[in-house]
Amino acid sequence: MNALPLLPAIIIDFFGSAAAILLSFLALRYSWALVKLKPSHIIWGFLFYFCIAMAVFSLSRGVGHIVRIILLFSDHSDLWKKLSPLSGGFNTMLMISAAAVTIYYHKGLEAYRLIRSEAEKLADANARLSTSALQLQQLNTHLEEMVDERTRNLSESEKKFRNFFENSKDIIYFCNEHGDITSINSSGKHLLGFDAALETVNFYDLFNNDGDRRKYINELNKNGFISDLEMECRGRDGSTRHILLTANTLYDQDGKMIGCEGIGKDMTRLKTITEQLINHEKMASVGQMAAGVAHEINTPLGIILGYTQLMMDDFEIDSENYKNLQIVERQTKACRKIVADLLKFSRQSESVKASIDLNQIIQEVLAVTEHTLNIQQIEVIRRFDPELPPVIGDAEKLHQIFINLFNNSQHAMADGGRLTVITDKTPAHVLVSVIDNGCGIADKIRSRIFDPFFTTKEVGKGTGLGLSVTYGIIQEHGGSISVESPVEDGQTGKTIQGAAFHIRLPVHDNTPNVNEEDR
Amino acid sequence: MKNRRISNIVILIVFLLVSEPGSAWALQSHGAPEGNYVHQMAHLLFTGALLYLYWHTRHTPVLTSRGWKYLQIFCILFASWNVLAFAGHEAFGHLTPDDFIEKNGLKEYIAGPITTTKVVYFITKMDHLLYVPALLALVVSLKTFYNDALQEEEK
Repeated sequence: MNALPLLPAIIIDFFGSAAAILLSFLALRYSWALVKLKPSHIIWGFLFYFCIAMAVFSLSRGVGHIVRIILLFSDHSDLWKKLSPLSGGFNTMLMISAAAVTIYYHKGLEAYRLIRSEAEKLADANARLSTSALQLQQLNTHLEEMVDERTRNLSESEKKFRNFFENSKDIIYFCNEHGDITSINSSGKHLLGFDAALETVNFYDLFNNDGDRRKYINELNKNGFISDLEMECRGRDGSTRHILLTANTLYDQDGKMIGCEGIGKDMTRLKTITEQLINHEKMASVGQMAAGVAHEINTPLGIILGYTQLMMDDFEIDSENYKNLQIVERQTKACRKIVADLLKFSRQSESVKASIDLNQIIQEVLAVTEHTLNIQQIEVIRRFDPELPPVIGDAEKLHQIFINLFNNSQHAMADGGRLTVITDKTPAHVLVSVIDNGCGIADKIRSRIFDPFFTTKEVGKGTGLGLSVTYGIIQEHGGSISVESPVEDGQTGKTIQGAAFHIRLPVHDNTPNVNEEDR
Repeated sequence: MKNRRISNIVILIVFLLVSEPGSAWALQSHGAPEGNYVHQMAHLLFTGALLYLYWHTRHTPVLTSRGWKYLQIFCILFASWNVLAFAGHEAFGHLTPDDFIEKNGLKEYIAGPITTTKVVYFITKMDHLLYVPALLALVVSLKTFYNDALQEEEK
């Protein structure tokens, strides 16, 4: 071959340059789209700059080649000679630029990777932080729920124990180490007569009996508890209360006593009932004995009285023997009266029962005794229920009841006072209260006042059979009698000195089987 | 402090140049081959840069998608084109106007006898057979990147 034709090369050069321009700008378009899609992506950024360099390079080179072909073939080779260095220089510069962009790509990539790594770490830290925050939030939420639940349980528990504390009919109290009451429930305040606002009260001071107080303190200090201590205390109203006490010592963390807590059960009513039962049994046995004795004595006394009266007929009225026999007769009659009283107490005397209005009975007794009472500056107050139902009883014996009670009141109010007689009713009973504001009845003798021959009067001024007879008569009538001293005023609620006898007698009702309970 | 020192040095240089203009070589003239050398060096630099890009993308674990494969093809093809162009320029440097017949015309020929240099020049004259496929690989690469990124974005 002598020569190589360059026409194919020229054709390829021409169209190749055009195709290169087209493709390079197409590449630029995609790189631009990538950058727009992810502006922060450094690799796309690099490719975009690389494509710019490539596009400009291809444009410069392609245009240069096309222009060269056109100029040379159009016989303007001189012009091309002038443009050729510019085109070549421009191409050189763009190649260096593209190379520089490529060389610095790895630095950019490293920076990107570093930033990416830091960003990932940051994202990871953020994720961990978010997870932690979520966990914390969950924990917090759960904690709130737990706190709510615990608070609710605590509240319910507190409410339960508070209700137990407040509603208990027993005394529940807390004391400090000195015995001062720090907290006491309503029953305790009511029972011991405290004001609503708790005042400073020392529990030790409530003991009536020093021995009980010492035992209480010693047991708490020594054993840490005390069980079933029968305590007698006096409430603020002055009434004596019998309390069955159980208490525990409270200690701090160091084992030092810081106080005590205790529960007390009011045994006063039970004790009273027990005493009444004992008394009732005692009275029953005494009554039986008295009945036997009275029967045995009544016959000799009758004989003594008969013979005395026969002998009196044998002497002159003014004679000394006659006067002596009068004394014997009088004393024998006194003995017979005592025997009669004993028989009344033991319910051995004959009884005539009828329907009786107690108001009328009391009025009849007062008609006789009121004058004497007034002389002694005793004011009689009547509070009768005008619609008092009748009772079945022996009028004479019922008279005796009120005579005895009024006599007692008169004796208790030696310096004058006020005698209140109240009648009232319940569906099943008639109630009579005889209240005086006299000296009252001491606790220690209260359980003995109905005993036969028990008296606080001087020797010779009383037989001690008045209240015994009263008790016997009321028992015979199916009723009951109780004593209260000091007395709680039903109208004012205050406690006043004196004594009250409360009599309860069954109502005479023509309709049988009255089941309605007392008011 | 550092900036102030640099300013002082610049002022001093300007002062020396202005005060002694006769002794200063402000410009250095360059011969004609220099442009050719720079152009050839640019080809080599570009070749090195592309080979480096190929090597880097090949050995970077995260750059494993299909787009990078096309980019690597582009790197190889375009680096080859640079080598080809370099060779073409060198070959042209050894040819004289007598080696061409009807120069600057459609019936231009490379005159005989046909030497290796002339064959090399003839081949390198058709460099677009590498250039265009290389750019095509670049376009395909970027299109693939774009589509992948779009899919990722849509997720």
